[in-house]
Amino acid sequence: MTGLVYKEWKQNRWFILSMILCGSAPLIVLLIMRGEIKDIGEAPIRIGGMIAGFLAAGALQMMVLRGDDRKLWGYWITSTADGYKGFLRVKYEMIFAMIVLFLFTLQCVDRGYCAVAADVGTRDVGEISGIAVLLCFVQILLRAIDIPFVYRFGSKKGSFVKLTYLIMLTIFLLVLFILNKDRFDSIIEVFKTNSSLMLSVSLVLCLALYYLSYRITCRLYLKGVEQYDH
Amino acid sequence: MTIKKENAKRLGIYLLIVFLFMLLYILCAKPMNRSNAMYYIIYMIFSFSPAIASLITRFVTKEGFRDMKLHLHFSGNFKWYILAFGLPLICFSAMFMLPVIISGHTDWLGGFTFSNILSNALLLFAFSAVQSIGLLGEELGWRGYMNQKMEPLVGTVGTCLIGGIVWGLWHLPMDIAGHLGGNGTLSEALGSTFGRLAMLTCFGAFLMWLTKKTNSVFPAVIAHFMYNESQGAVMMLLGEGNIPESASLPLWTDVPRYFPLLVIAAVFVVLLMRDKRKAV
Repeated sequence: MTGLVYKEWKQNRWFILSMILCGSAPLIVLLIMRGEIKDIGEAPIRIGGMIAGFLAAGALQMMVLRGDDRKLWGYWITSTADGYKGFLRVKYEMIFAMIVLFLFTLQCVDRGYCAVAADVGTRDVGEISGIAVLLCFVQILLRAIDIPFVYRFGSKKGSFVKLTYLIMLTIFLLVLFILNKDRFDSIIEVFKTNSSLMLSVSLVLCLALYYLSYRITCRLYLKGVEQYDH
Repeated sequence: MTIKKENAKRLGIYLLIVFLFMLLYILCAKPMNRSNAMYYIIYMIFSFSPAIASLITRFVTKEGFRDMKLHLHFSGNFKWYILAFGLPLICFSAMFMLPVIISGHTDWLGGFTFSNILSNALLLFAFSAVQSIGLLGEELGWRGYMNQKMEPLVGTVGTCLIGGIVWGLWHLPMDIAGHLGGNGTLSEALGSTFGRLAMLTCFGAFLMWLTKKTNSVFPAVIAHFMYNESQGAVMMLLGEGNIPESASLPLWTDVPRYFPLLVIAAVFVVLLMRDKRKAV
C-alpha cells in the first residue's frame, strides 16, 4: 500500500499541493481586486473567490485520474498483491484528502483574514468558511459520481456518458416534478420543519455515497479495463 | 547506545521542543492580547507544535520518517473508527446529563428530543470526517511519537499517566491565557488547568489504545475532534431546555460528572495491559 501512496504522490503531488492554492482563492481574488474594494469585509467578493477556488479544485481533483485508463496498467495493477481494489482505494483516499486539504486551507486563510480585518478595525467581518463546509460535501458527492464513470469508460468517453446520464436524470426529475407538482408543497413543508435533520442526513449520505461509489468502481473496473483504447 | 537510552534521548528532545513552543506562547501573551492576527498566527503554530516537534526530532536524531502511523488502515478497523466517533459522544452526553438526572432535574433536558439528538449526532459524524484534520497537529506528536517513545521507558500505565499529564500541561498556556490577559483569578485558571489535566489523562488512555489497535493516528484524531466538539453539542442541547437562569447543581454531582471518564480510563488501561500481555 505504501508503494501505491508513493506512486500517487510522485505522479500527482502538484495537483495535491494545488489544493492549498485553491483554498487561498478568496484571498488571492481580494488581492487582485484590492483597488476596487471599498470595504475590507466585502463578503460577495470573498464568496466569489471561494466558488472560483471550489471549481478549480474540482477540476484538479479530476486531473489525478488521468493516465490510469490504460489496459497495460489495469492488468498489471490487478496482478499485484494490493490488486486493483488497493489501487482504487488509494485513489479514493487521495481525492478525499485533497478535498479535506482544500477545506482546511480555506478555513485557515479565511480565519486569518478575519483576524487581520478585526485588527484593521472592521469587527463585523463574518467568516465564510461555514459555506465552504457544505461546498466540500457537494465536492465529495460530485467526485462520487465522476470516478466510476472515468474508470468504467475512460476519461474522455466517461465525461460524455456521465453527461448523457445526468441529462436523462434531469429530464426524469422534471417529468416527476410536473406530474406531482401538487404534492411537492407538502414535501417541501416536511423539509422546512425538519431542516436541521435533513441537512445532517444529506451530509452523512454524501459520505455513504462516496463509499458506495468506491464499491461500484471496484465492480466496474475490470470491465472498463477491457474497453480502454490502449 | 541501548534502545532505552536512544528512546530517552529522543523523548527528551521532543519534549524540550514542545515546551519551547509552550514558552513561546506564554511569552507572546501580551502581543496576542493586542492583535487578533498575532493571536491567530501564534495559536496556529502552537496547535501544530506537537507534530512540528516530532518532525524536528525525527530529523535531528536521524530517526527517519517511517512509522508515523499515517496510514488509514480502514480494512478491518472500521469498527474502531466508529468507536472513536461514538464513545466520546456517549461519554460527554453522560458527563453532562448524569448530574442533571441524578439531582432530579430531568425537566431541564427538554432539548434532548430524538430529532435533535439524531441531527446533532449525524452532523458531528459528517464534520468529523472532513474537519478533524487540524487535530493531526496534536495527535501526530502525542500518540504518533511521544507514546511510542515513552512506553518502553515507563510501561503502559506509566505512559497513560505521564503522557496524559504532559498532554494536559501543554494546554496550560491556553488555560491561563485569560488570567494573563487580566480576566479571571489565578485560582480559577489553575482550577481549569487541573480539571483539564485529569480529563485528558483519563481520555488519553482511550486514544493510546485506539492508536495501538489500528496502528494509525487517524482514529485518535477523530476521537479528539469528538472530545472537543461533543461538549459543545451537548451544551447546545442543554441550552434548548428549560433551565432557570439561577439554576445550579449541588457540589456532590461533580462525582458522577467525572465517573464516565474514569470508567473509560480504567477499561482502556485494562485493555492495553491485556493486549500487551498477549503480544508477549
